[in-house]
Amino acid sequence: MKLHPLSLPLRAIPRGANGGVLGLFLSFAVEQTGIVPTGSVVTGTLLFVAGFALGAGYEAVYYRRFEYDLTADTLDIGSGVLSRREREIPLRRIQNVDISRGVLQRALSIAVVDVETAGGGQTEASLRYVSYDEAKRLQGDLRRGEREGSGAGGGRATAEGAIDADAAAEEAAEPRRPGESEELLFALSPRNLVLLGLVAPDLRALLPVLFFAVPTVGLSIPDLLTETGALTVGPRGAALAIVSWVGTAAVTAARYYDFQLSRVGDELRYERGLLGRYDGSIPIAKIQQVDVRENFLMRRVGYASLAVETAGYTPGEGPSGGSEAAIPLAGRDRVVDLARSIEGFDFDEPEFARPPRRARRRYAVRYALALGLVAGVLWIANTLFDVSFLQYWYAPLAGIALAPVAGHYKWLHRGYDVGGEHVLTRNGFWRRSIAVVPAYRVQTVIQTATPFQRWRSLATVAIDTAGSLSVTDRGARAVDFDVTEAIDLRETVRQGLQASLRTRRDGFATSETATPFVDGGEDGNRSE
Amino acid sequence: MERLDSRVRVVWLGSALVTALVVGVAVAIAGRRLFEVGLWVGPAVFAVLAVLGVAYTLQRYRVWGFDIESDAVTLERGVVTRVNSVVPFVRVQHVDSQRGPIERLAGLSSVVVYTAGSRGADVTIPGLRPERAEAIQAELRRLATESEPGDPEDAV
Repeated sequence: MKLHPLSLPLRAIPRGANGGVLGLFLSFAVEQTGIVPTGSVVTGTLLFVAGFALGAGYEAVYYRRFEYDLTADTLDIGSGVLSRREREIPLRRIQNVDISRGVLQRALSIAVVDVETAGGGQTEASLRYVSYDEAKRLQGDLRRGEREGSGAGGGRATAEGAIDADAAAEEAAEPRRPGESEELLFALSPRNLVLLGLVAPDLRALLPVLFFAVPTVGLSIPDLLTETGALTVGPRGAALAIVSWVGTAAVTAARYYDFQLSRVGDELRYERGLLGRYDGSIPIAKIQQVDVRENFLMRRVGYASLAVETAGYTPGEGPSGGSEAAIPLAGRDRVVDLARSIEGFDFDEPEFARPPRRARRRYAVRYALALGLVAGVLWIANTLFDVSFLQYWYAPLAGIALAPVAGHYKWLHRGYDVGGEHVLTRNGFWRRSIAVVPAYRVQTVIQTATPFQRWRSLATVAIDTAGSLSVTDRGARAVDFDVTEAIDLRETVRQGLQASLRTRRDGFATSETATPFVDGGEDGNRSE
Repeated sequence: MERLDSRVRVVWLGSALVTALVVGVAVAIAGRRLFEVGLWVGPAVFAVLAVLGVAYTLQRYRVWGFDIESDAVTLERGVVTRVNSVVPFVRVQHVDSQRGPIERLAGLSSVVVYTAGSRGADVTIPGLRPERAEAIQAELRRLATESEPGDPEDAV
C-alpha cells in the first residue's frame, strides 16, 4: 500500500524549502569566491530553484517508492531513495502504536502512524502520512493481527506466542469486532484539566511564553532587574510570573485537552490534544513498570498522575519524555486503583521503609556544601567583575539554615517496599515518584555505593526493567539504605524474580487453571 | 567470587600509562607554547598520573570479582563507586566475547553480557583467558536457553 497522496505535497514542500534555503546559502558562498558577480539575483534564484527541486524531488521519489503491507503476522515496509530498506516487523513484537495529527493534518483528515518495538534506537516504522481512517484501521488490525497471527503461527515457542495463543483462543470463543468492547477507564474532566495546568505547568514552554509575555506586559528585562531586589519582587515582576504561570499552564492544558483512556481488549488506548490530536495504544502485556507521580502541588490537593512504561521508546523520547502518561491527573486513590487494575500490578497498599536517619544528615551536609560552593563562586566572581548584585555573594549562605529542613524532606520521601510479587520504590520531594515493578519484569539488580555512602555504610539498589526511562526519571531505586538492608533487598528481588518465573512455569504446565497474567498458555508446542 | 586473570593488571596499567603519557605530552606542549612554564611540568604530570594509575589498577583488580551462580551472574567491581550487579540468566539476550588490541597482546579476552534493561544493559567481564572466556560464553548461552521453559518470561 502507498501513503496518502497528500503526503506528496506535505512532505515535498518543507523539504523543498529546506533545499532552497541551502541553495541560497550556497549562492552566497559562491559569490564570496568571486567566480560570479556579487549581488547577482540570477545565481541566487538559480541555486534556490535547484535546491528546491532537489529537496522536493527527493520526497517525490520517496513517496513513489514507499510501500507498506500488513500481512497475517508482520508489518512490511519498503522504503528508501538511494539505498533501499525492506523491513519486516513481527506483529507480536510491537509495543506502541501512536497516531498523531497536527492542526493541518486534522483539517486534511490525515495522520502520522508511528510503530515502536523494543529494538533499535528510533521509531521502527513511521508512516507519514496516511488517511486518518487508514490509521485507525491499522491500529486495530495491528492488534488483531498480533493475536491471530501468533495463534495461527502455532509452533513458535515464544513468550508473546504463548500469551497470544491464549488470547486468540479467547477471541475465537467470543469474537470481537473493532470498536466493540471499548471500555472507558478514565476521562479528564474540564475542572481537572484546569487544575492539571496549574499544578503541572509545562516548564519547557517557559522561554517561548516569556518571549511573548515580556512585550505584552510591557516591561524590559533590565528594568525588571533594577526593580527587583535580592529578595523582593516588584509588581511587574509578579505580573510576569503570573502570566508565565498561566501561559505554561495553558500549554499543558492544550496537550491533555479531552484526555481519554480506554481499554480495548488487551490494550490501553489514550486520546488527547486540543490543537494537535494524539492517540496511541499500549498492549497491557508489554507494560514493564508503572509510576505514580505527584509533584508537591499535586500532593497538596491530593492528586497524582500515572505513567506506564513499555520498552517501546528510547530514553527521553516518546510523547511525554520517555513514558506514556496513562492518567495525567486524578485523585490519588483513583490513580492507585487504576494502576492496580492493570494485570500484574495488583500491588498491596505500600508501607515504605525509610532510609536510616544518618542518610538525612548526608543530604543536609550535601545541600550546605552546595550552597557554600555557590557562594564561593559568587565571591570569586565578585572580586573579578564589577556587577552590582554580586556584592550579595554571601546571600546563598543564608540558605544553609534551611539545609537540614530540605534534607529532612528529601529523606522523608524516600523509601521502598518489597512484597511477594512487586517491589516499589519512592523518591523525590518536588516531584515524588513511586515506581511499581512486578517481580517478573526485573531485568537486573544493581547495588551501588559511592565513597560517601560507604563512609556511612549506606548503599543504593537500582531495579532495572526494560521500560524506557525519561531523562529526569532514573527508574526504580531504593536510595541510601543500610548496606545489610540493601543486600537483603537485592537478594529478595532476585529470589522474587525466580519465584515468579516458577509460578509462570507451573501456570504454563497447567494452562487451564492459570490466570491470564501468570499463565503461559502454550498448548504443547514444545513437544513438537 | 572468581577473580580475573592477574595479567589483566598489565592491560589496565598499559592503558593507564598510555593515557598518562598522552596527557603528559599534551600538558608539556601546551605549557611550552602557551604559558612558558618549565619543561618539568609535563614529566611531573605524567608521574602523578602514572602513580594514580598504578594505585587505581591494583585496587581495581583487588575489588573485581564475578560468580556464575545457580540463577544469575553476579559481579562486584568499582574502585570509587562500588557496584554489585545481579544479572539473572533468563534476562540474558546475547553474549559476546571481545579482544581489544592490548588484551590480545596480553593473551586475554572479555565477555560482554547483554540484557534488555534500560540501564547497565551490557555488562563486561574483562581479563579472562580465551579458553575461560569461551567456556563462560558457552555456559551462559546454555543457562540462558535452559532457563526458558516455553519462554513465558520473555519480558519484553
